[in-house]
Amino acid sequence: MDRLRRNPTFQAWALLAAPVIFLIVFFMLPLLIVFVYSFLERGEYGGVQWVFNLGNIQRVFDPLYFRTFLRSLYIAIVTTLITLALGYPLAYFIADSPPKRKGVLIFVLMIPFWTNFLIRTYAWLTLLRTHTGLINVTLMSWGVISKPLPLFGNDFAIILGLVYGWLPVMVLPIYAALDRLDHSLLEAARDLYASGFHTFWRVTWPLSLPGVVAGSMLVFIPSLGAFVTPAILGGGKSLMIGNIISNQFLGAHDWPFGSALSMLMMIAMLIATLIYFRWTTKTEAAS
Amino acid sequence: MTTPSSAGYNARRDRLRAKLGGWSLTTYGILAFAFLYLPILILVIFSFNDSRSVSKWAGFTIDWYFKMIKDGQIMLSVWNSLFLAIVSTAIATVLGTLAAMGLERYSFRGKTAVDAMFYLPVIIPDIAMAIMLLLFFNMSGIGFTPWKVNFFGVKLAVPYSVIIGHVAFNTSFVAIVVRARLAQMDRTLEEAAQDLYANAWQTFRRVTLPMLMPGIVGGALLAFTLSLDDFVITFFTSGAGFNTLPVRVFGMIKKGVTPKINAVSTLMLAVSLSLVILSILLRSRSGDEDAVQMGF
Amino acid sequence: MTETYAVELQDVVKQFGDVVAVNHVSLQIRDGEFFSLLGPSGCGKTTTLRMIAGFEMPTGGAIYIHGERQGYRPPNKRPINTVFQNYALFPHMTVAENIAFGMEMQRTPKDEVKRRVAEALAMVRLSNMANRKPKQLSGGQQQRIALARALVNRPKVLLLDEPLGALDLKLRKAMQIELKALQEEVGITFIYVTHDQEEALTMSDRIAVMNNGIVHQVDVPDRIYEHPADRFVADFIGETNFIPVKVVSLSPQIIVELASGEKIPAGWAEEGIAVGENAILSIRPEKMTLLEEKEVDGPPPADIARVRGAVRHLVYVGTDTRHTVALQDGTEIVVRLQNSYIDEEPWEIDESTIVEWNAAHARVLKE
Repeated sequence: MDRLRRNPTFQAWALLAAPVIFLIVFFMLPLLIVFVYSFLERGEYGGVQWVFNLGNIQRVFDPLYFRTFLRSLYIAIVTTLITLALGYPLAYFIADSPPKRKGVLIFVLMIPFWTNFLIRTYAWLTLLRTHTGLINVTLMSWGVISKPLPLFGNDFAIILGLVYGWLPVMVLPIYAALDRLDHSLLEAARDLYASGFHTFWRVTWPLSLPGVVAGSMLVFIPSLGAFVTPAILGGGKSLMIGNIISNQFLGAHDWPFGSALSMLMMIAMLIATLIYFRWTTKTEAAS
Repeated sequence: MTTPSSAGYNARRDRLRAKLGGWSLTTYGILAFAFLYLPILILVIFSFNDSRSVSKWAGFTIDWYFKMIKDGQIMLSVWNSLFLAIVSTAIATVLGTLAAMGLERYSFRGKTAVDAMFYLPVIIPDIAMAIMLLLFFNMSGIGFTPWKVNFFGVKLAVPYSVIIGHVAFNTSFVAIVVRARLAQMDRTLEEAAQDLYANAWQTFRRVTLPMLMPGIVGGALLAFTLSLDDFVITFFTSGAGFNTLPVRVFGMIKKGVTPKINAVSTLMLAVSLSLVILSILLRSRSGDEDAVQMGF
Repeated sequence: MTETYAVELQDVVKQFGDVVAVNHVSLQIRDGEFFSLLGPSGCGKTTTLRMIAGFEMPTGGAIYIHGERQGYRPPNKRPINTVFQNYALFPHMTVAENIAFGMEMQRTPKDEVKRRVAEALAMVRLSNMANRKPKQLSGGQQQRIALARALVNRPKVLLLDEPLGALDLKLRKAMQIELKALQEEVGITFIYVTHDQEEALTMSDRIAVMNNGIVHQVDVPDRIYEHPADRFVADFIGETNFIPVKVVSLSPQIIVELASGEKIPAGWAEEGIAVGENAILSIRPEKMTLLEEKEVDGPPPADIARVRGAVRHLVYVGTDTRHTVALQDGTEIVVRLQNSYIDEEPWEIDESTIVEWNAAHARVLKE
């Protein structure tokens, strides 16, 4: 008994038993169910019939749905690029601030992130709505425009909402990478006749790349799986894959097809994550 | 010779450039923070608007807050949210801490797989996790049975499915935060305790746990915040008739925009803000400066 | 009658996977001794210490503490305390709480704990720091608290893992003296791990020199320096000249031959060396002197070695001057001559010379 208690593997599993069992039952098993359901037939009133078929998988590639998937992919990529373009200089600004101010700025950056995502999306709803949104109402009352700008119910609104929602998550890892950067490297570059631009392009940027890639992953994955943003800012017209999936469960009662669509989404994310890990292990091995 | 010479050197141009670079970066920083805060600020302002509009200012009132408090549905959803957050946080903190210790301190066969399993709920988008759980609860027969409970005099009926759903994603977050703290911790401290005649339990109780506490509290606060914030998983795993505050707000938005939603939102903002400040205070007291920097 | 040692290691082996960290080590450490484990980093000295403390279990062999076999006994059940390299003071406890910890775990009565904490603090002269947190102390103060925290338990043996490594040079010197005085005062066996030979030579009663998991020599400091047992010890401790030689005879007198054909006597030969074999002659730079041709007449006495060479290089280092001398076979050796007289005429570069030493200082070692 004493020998057993000293055995590290035994100790590890004594600690891990409860959380692992919990996750297996309430996470891995549900994941398996989604996988299995993708190959079943829909029941008459929701539910499933235990008949194996590949119909759902085929239907996923039906242009009607697959186009939405591709559009979601497009929205997620554009969101990631815009967030990066906005986030990098912001991270640079924070990293370039005096040490005492850095902490405060990071804190100020993260507060919006810790407030409810739904509410932040709702805030944009009140700003963007076509006829009653603050922006159009104000611009029209000032006479700047004569008819409302198309700010709402389109990809623009969704991308804006996503960029707004995930900007802090992009900034944080880039900031961390820039902050770790040894200042003498930049001085060395300048000393070796590099201009400001070249110092950035040849030293700062490559060394901050791990932060850029991490931030991009953190933005890309939730953007691809977005549900709340298109549901509120898409105005019922512009939809993403997350909304189509939810419709299969809440409206159409086609669980197997909904499962197949989620599998597609998860596979896309898995691929992105694997590429990310390959990249990080490769760059770590290189350095 | 290609060495830079002083001939043709333009001192004024270089000084101007240096200054412009600094100014434009600062200007950009201010604009970026304005972008982050303006929508929230406007949302709060219009919660005091004396009109049904959320875009035309018509004078100051706090009527919408009274309407919010008198709305039985909203208040019930507030209690539901709180109860759900407390219960799921408590369970997730215990499970997550156990997992963190098991994963950080030991290596064993199949550890990579277990590791991956704990990261998955963090990576997977909430919509995917939500429908996974929805199918599971439908199929397993657990269904959406509610836990009927008297919470400070309010009768609540919280489906077990929602609690389990929240624990499922929170456990991973707690595990990650506690693990980070554990990884920072100097293991010789535990050896020192053993060397000073502490047995395994005493070492844990007197050294490991106190050193780990900031991580555990931080993880718990994170779980609490995430639980309060969650909309998607609650929405899909609750069955009909159960509302947390975010689910209620979503329903209200779908019906129409009024400053009452702004009032509820302002309340939620205040709660989130106090939680963040609380966690910062706790962390800075424990001298964990990195955590303060990271803002959670 | 067999002596009971404070700590005894019998044929101890420790393997980490395929790596043998400690390779069949046997040591006998006497009660009240200041014993050092000296060696370069990665030589297995820290692993040896950690096995005595009980943080690692030996793969083979046995460890006895005061005659008692330790086996799988965990660290908290061994009558031993450790001063850790980074001190390992509990950051969430005050200095007094840190010192009281070990006694609390042993359920020592409260008033006794209080009294002994006060005594321990007085011993390291930090009584006014009782309520500080470790972070508020300087490195030297933390070091002394770590010492007090261990000694307050009155262990039978105190293990110290490079305890002065984190201190700056001046403080380290001061602490060396303080540690040694403290050890003599409390009379507890100290086992001290260090890679700093000077530290080991100054403080220890005996030293075990380790490399690659093997103990090369166990001896008192001056014997370690003057009579290194093998090439590693000679090379690791202090400065040494190695001259390749061939063994001509081993008795009645040890005679070796240089590549130049010069035959010289030596004082000692490592076990296992046979006549006719190649070996190396080890001799310390300060044991040699340089003679001019005219100072020498006739063959040297039987216990004196002389070889011819030429001065190649001089480096003045204050107390003495280092002369690099090339022997006839090309081997370069260093001879340190004390700068005793202010007007002494220095050697010139490429001046031919005769290097002389007493054969007793020269040791024939395996290659």
